[in-house]
Amino acid sequence: MTGEDPGPLLRLFGLTGGRARPQGETFDLVAIVTTVSGSYEPAELIPEHRAVLSLCQKPTPVADVAAHLKLPLNITRVILGDLRREGLVTIERPRPVAQTIDERIYREVLHGLRSL
Amino acid sequence: MDYAASEPGATAVASALAIKILIAGGFGVGKTTMVGTISEIRPLHTEELLSERGIGVDDTSGVESKTTTTVALDFGRITIREGLWLYLFGTPGQDRFWFMWDELALGALGAVVLADTRRLEDCFPAVDYFEQRGVPFVVGVNCFEGARRYDPAKVRRALALNESIPIVLCDVRERESVKEVLTTLVTYAVKGV
Repeated sequence: MTGEDPGPLLRLFGLTGGRARPQGETFDLVAIVTTVSGSYEPAELIPEHRAVLSLCQKPTPVADVAAHLKLPLNITRVILGDLRREGLVTIERPRPVAQTIDERIYREVLHGLRSL
Repeated sequence: MDYAASEPGATAVASALAIKILIAGGFGVGKTTMVGTISEIRPLHTEELLSERGIGVDDTSGVESKTTTTVALDFGRITIREGLWLYLFGTPGQDRFWFMWDELALGALGAVVLADTRRLEDCFPAVDYFEQRGVPFVVGVNCFEGARRYDPAKVRRALALNESIPIVLCDVRERESVKEVLTTLVTYAVKGV
């Protein structure tokens, strides 16, 4: 569980300029990330940034972005925080569960689970 | 960009919703197995990098001088439809990662506390945690092969659980069984029954 090889860690923190926390307002593991369409894409984007912008043309939860990038969640969050600051993605703040899950969604979830 | 964004999901922006469900319980009780049984993707295993000094602090300074450690986090996904997902997060087992629970629990629909009747006490911390935070939870008693069936009433007494909290006997390797646990949780969390 404890990483013994510091190599990957150093490389990962290189991606974030050594930062372990994202800039700006914090966001949840399942906050929805969406690429801002039509935004100007700076030429100096690193491959991970481009991968996020491509993936999140479809609204995608933070956890899934991390899985696609094969990066730890907090590294992913630093990257997403940077992209948000540049205005390239939006990260929707999850609404309280009680407000989001109405009768219709409840039925959909139950039906979805049962038909798995 | 508009022309490149030909993915059909681009219109789902307004309604996209990811519902978070936590799977908690003692070490080795079957959390990852449960996620794997029901997830449409192989449980995704990510490692959280933690800088010990930065824990709980908004820290944007360099990490060179800090001790770093990793904590594994497994999660799985169930797509209900385009733009509506359930995410199952297996909570880290070790007590020293409690602070991660706070983040995981925030905004969660609810939790499944998995219990192994041979080591019931292992799930006490999880039960306490969710009770204190007011996170709806159900208890899934994982009936390992060969283990005798347990009387849910005994489990309820041993865990000092409120009468309203559902207890489900389950086998986390069985899809139907995991579906039953999750539908019980969703109904309990939404309807209170």
